[in-house]
Amino acid sequence: MSTAAETQAGDGAGDVLRASSVSRSFAGVRALQDVTLEVRRHEVVGLIGPNGAGKSTLVNVLSGFDRPDDGAVELAGRDVTGWNASRRARAGLARTFQHSRAFPSLSVRENVEVAALGIGARPREAARRADALLELLGLEKLAAVTASALSHGDERRLGVARALATEPHFVLMDEPAAGLPEAELPEFAAVVRSVRDEHDAGVLLVDHNVALVMDVCDRIQVLDQGRTLAEGPPGEIRANLDVAAAYLGESAAE
Amino acid sequence: MRRLAPVLELAGPLLLIVAAGLLSTAVSRSTQIYVLHAIVAVAMVVAIYVFIGNSGVLSFGQISFVAVGAFAAGVMTVPLLLKGAILRDLFPILRDHELGNVESLLVAAGVGAVLAAVVGLPLMRLSGLAAGIATFAVLEITNNLLREWTAIGPGATTLSLVPQTTGPAQATIGATLVVLVAWAYQRSRFGRRLRATREDPAAAQAVGISVHRHRLGAFVLSGALCGFAGGLYVHMLGSISTGQVYLELTFLTLAMLVVGGMTSLWGAVVGALAVSGLDSFLAEAERGALPDGTRLVVVGAVMALVLVLRPSGITGGKELRL
Repeated sequence: MSTAAETQAGDGAGDVLRASSVSRSFAGVRALQDVTLEVRRHEVVGLIGPNGAGKSTLVNVLSGFDRPDDGAVELAGRDVTGWNASRRARAGLARTFQHSRAFPSLSVRENVEVAALGIGARPREAARRADALLELLGLEKLAAVTASALSHGDERRLGVARALATEPHFVLMDEPAAGLPEAELPEFAAVVRSVRDEHDAGVLLVDHNVALVMDVCDRIQVLDQGRTLAEGPPGEIRANLDVAAAYLGESAAE
Repeated sequence: MRRLAPVLELAGPLLLIVAAGLLSTAVSRSTQIYVLHAIVAVAMVVAIYVFIGNSGVLSFGQISFVAVGAFAAGVMTVPLLLKGAILRDLFPILRDHELGNVESLLVAAGVGAVLAAVVGLPLMRLSGLAAGIATFAVLEITNNLLREWTAIGPGATTLSLVPQTTGPAQATIGATLVVLVAWAYQRSRFGRRLRATREDPAAAQAVGISVHRHRLGAFVLSGALCGFAGGLYVHMLGSISTGQVYLELTFLTLAMLVVGGMTSLWGAVVGALAVSGLDSFLAEAERGALPDGTRLVVVGAVMALVLVLRPSGITGGKELRL
């Protein structure tokens, strides 16, 4: 947990995750074109757009699983464009995956523990952190269950618990609510808010569930065909007709 | 229960080793060599398991480290008077020094670790088929160096006159030590992080684990243990030639690991003992009614059968649980 002094420093220019004018092409297809995105600590930024808009590519570029052809990624004031994913994770950048990537033969508890070990926590501290996170995400009853036996929704929650075990300053959540039952969405929204408010982290939330995104995000950025289409507070975005055409129209057609 | 699990994980393998050690003192001299072979095989297979089992990366090269360990321990313990006469081309530092039994085992472990570090640094960036082929090249290179370079060993001739210090006591203690190190490693944070990379490399990187660094660590530790097991081996045989630590031994030890279950310490120990038992039985049978070569045909068939019918091995790749 951060001290009060650190929280105050959170307003400083250093506490930003930023992609500056990043571009990325795959076999001639431009997945990202000159996209700039900023996430500050203590805010939830939504990233929405139709399928193929470049959302996942941007998450990969930010987290170090992909390198931009052009542009730079900055983490807390440092240029991390050349850093690999594990180094960025140790510097405070966590992510979840679109398709659950739990360690299948480890128990739920071991999954969370090894994430804490991954960034250098001692085993005793890792165990303590795992207990707290399993409780936060309502997984404590499943602690001893093998991860491969989890339901879809529980897998998603485990992904978030594992990301938080690395005590991140920034968390990228790639479609964390996909597959969650409608009834569990309010509870999940509360988890996202607690990541912001209690863990003092900045969150980038990529999701197709417009209601969830509108509900929990402080700011929303819309991507379409690899470009930023709009950016602003949820109310403004909802009112934006371009977005309705590009996103809501598309999702209605799905 | 959570406190009991790690104890059981260690107690099962150790009990089997001690039982085999006791058995080796109770049988005839001609049977004893088979039992000692089986115990030394446990040391080798567990040493190999430390890398393959924890990382999930296949290596055909670990017997290289057994080989350099065996030759290092052998060359350094041949009595000085005889060494000057039979190994004239040796580097002076090797020719003019003689080590005791324990020192020679430590040197064997050190040589194995150093060779593993040298080849692991570039190769641990590979996975899957590429890693398998590259580690196979390491086996080939090491074998040729040992066979041709008479400044570091006997070359193509058999190194004999090595003190036979690996009896029931040394085999049992040696295998126990290897199991203890393997157990401590897999329970350490380094081992746990590496096992996460085995399950899902990308997800492991996302929580800060460097795949390359952790694989290299296990490769070097495995190299040290393989070298040590090679030392036990040469002190059991009393003589060694390069052919004895090459393809057949690579095949046999991998078969043991596959049959037992690659992903658990329990599997490595059970596989080593079970296949050694089968192997010894067939070796005896070949002296009688069965044609030569039956031994490896059957072991190969058993390995293939296990891969088809029970791919995670007879233990299911799981540690011993109540």
